[in-house]
Amino acid sequence: MDVKDIRSLIKMITETDISEFEMESAEEKIRIKRGSQPEIIHYQAPPPMAGFPHAAPPQPSAAPAERAPEAPAVAPEKGKAITSPIVGTFYRSPAPDAPPYVEVGQVVEKGQVLCIVEAMKLMNEIEAEFRCKILRICKENAHPVEYGDELFIVESL
Amino acid sequence: MKDLFSQSPDGGTQTLDQQILALFRAKPGGVVSGEELSGVLQVSRTAVWKHIKGLKALGYRIEAVPSQGYRLVAAPDLLIPEEIAAALVTRRIGRRVISFRETDSTNEVAFRLAEEGAEEGTVVVAEAQRRGKGRLGRRWESPTGVNLYCSVILRPPLLPVKAPQLTFLSAVAVARAITATTPLHPFIKWPNDLLINGRKVAGLLNEMSSETEKVNFIILGIGVNINMRRDQFPADLRHPATSLFLEGGEEVSRLAFARALLEALDALYDAYLVDGYGPVRKEWLALSNVLGKRVRVTFQESETVGVAEGIDEDGALLLQLADGRVERVLAGDVTILQAKG
Repeated sequence: MDVKDIRSLIKMITETDISEFEMESAEEKIRIKRGSQPEIIHYQAPPPMAGFPHAAPPQPSAAPAERAPEAPAVAPEKGKAITSPIVGTFYRSPAPDAPPYVEVGQVVEKGQVLCIVEAMKLMNEIEAEFRCKILRICKENAHPVEYGDELFIVESL
Repeated sequence: MKDLFSQSPDGGTQTLDQQILALFRAKPGGVVSGEELSGVLQVSRTAVWKHIKGLKALGYRIEAVPSQGYRLVAAPDLLIPEEIAAALVTRRIGRRVISFRETDSTNEVAFRLAEEGAEEGTVVVAEAQRRGKGRLGRRWESPTGVNLYCSVILRPPLLPVKAPQLTFLSAVAVARAITATTPLHPFIKWPNDLLINGRKVAGLLNEMSSETEKVNFIILGIGVNINMRRDQFPADLRHPATSLFLEGGEEVSRLAFARALLEALDALYDAYLVDGYGPVRKEWLALSNVLGKRVRVTFQESETVGVAEGIDEDGALLLQLADGRVERVLAGDVTILQAKG
């Protein structure tokens, strides 16, 4: 499923009362939730060799009756942010006419290139440091990024 | 790797070819006997003969002097470790050289070698590139035998945020090598284009592999148009381009240039690791063609006009705007509008 399909799916769902939609096939799983922002668990740089901290285990989803009235309907998501190590320009593909390195929904292997951040003609290929699924691409192609800016929200697999 | 020319062995030892050449060079104009060669090198006369034959195939002119031995008459202007290393005075850079008759891209080879653990200072050179890399998928024209295409592996103990400073270091190194081997006066266009008389003579493309807090390695990719002729330039270049030969009117030894470049990189990098970015920035500013001038920087659809005041720690171009504010420009293409005042 590509971005266009997802966009039309979202459009379709927003025209209904559905607040959450989930679809799963052999290759991919799509989950769309309307309303409040999902909670993102930020990825922090581990000390060398320490491996990656795992996202907090999902909380058992509270039944509507138990939910405090003011609490937003937040379902914790196994999201980790991949951030920019330098100040520069974000590129989603190796060349303007080349397809993007990754798309939303795609599963990427450890070591696979996700994007380039260019600073002063120094091209920094950002790789996946673990096998993961791209949940969100946070920056637009060829836009400036700051140090520490979130580039991708991914789900560790 | 059929395109592989020659490579220096790991661990700083010399190949047999290098040792043979060293023996010849120890006796300028002199003759070295087959016995002497086989005795010093601890190999058979047949092995010596085979290596002499191999060197001839590379372009060395070696004469047999009847009943005396061999004489080295001339060495080719080839970018091979035997030659580059022959008179190279460096601490880190070029201690290992891997050269190709032809390869897709020296940056790609160096990147792969670095991923496999190649040591700092390893240099990859090629006589020609099939797909010389420019920025963002652009091509760097790489005809055979006339230019320098090389990539250097560095492993600086730096945070990734500091790494762009090496872009300025490599531009300064190329400028030093041009000054050392020609009477020409290069300028640097921010951040790292090397210009002679307003035309681009070198392209620098650096690539980094990093983790959040650590640089794994950096590849400094350096392409210099040395002896390229007018008809070897494609018609559809983005910027006017030139070569050292076209500007100076004389052929430049590619080997002498390669050595000068590696020595400049080595000295600058050594100093950078001790004294930091300050000296590099100072030298860069002295070579810059924009300082004090009114420039326009275009980046995609936006443009900024101001007077170039310098560069900061990140390499950002500092532009004084019409209202007196100073803007940090991080990316874009600089055009000089007019001299200030």
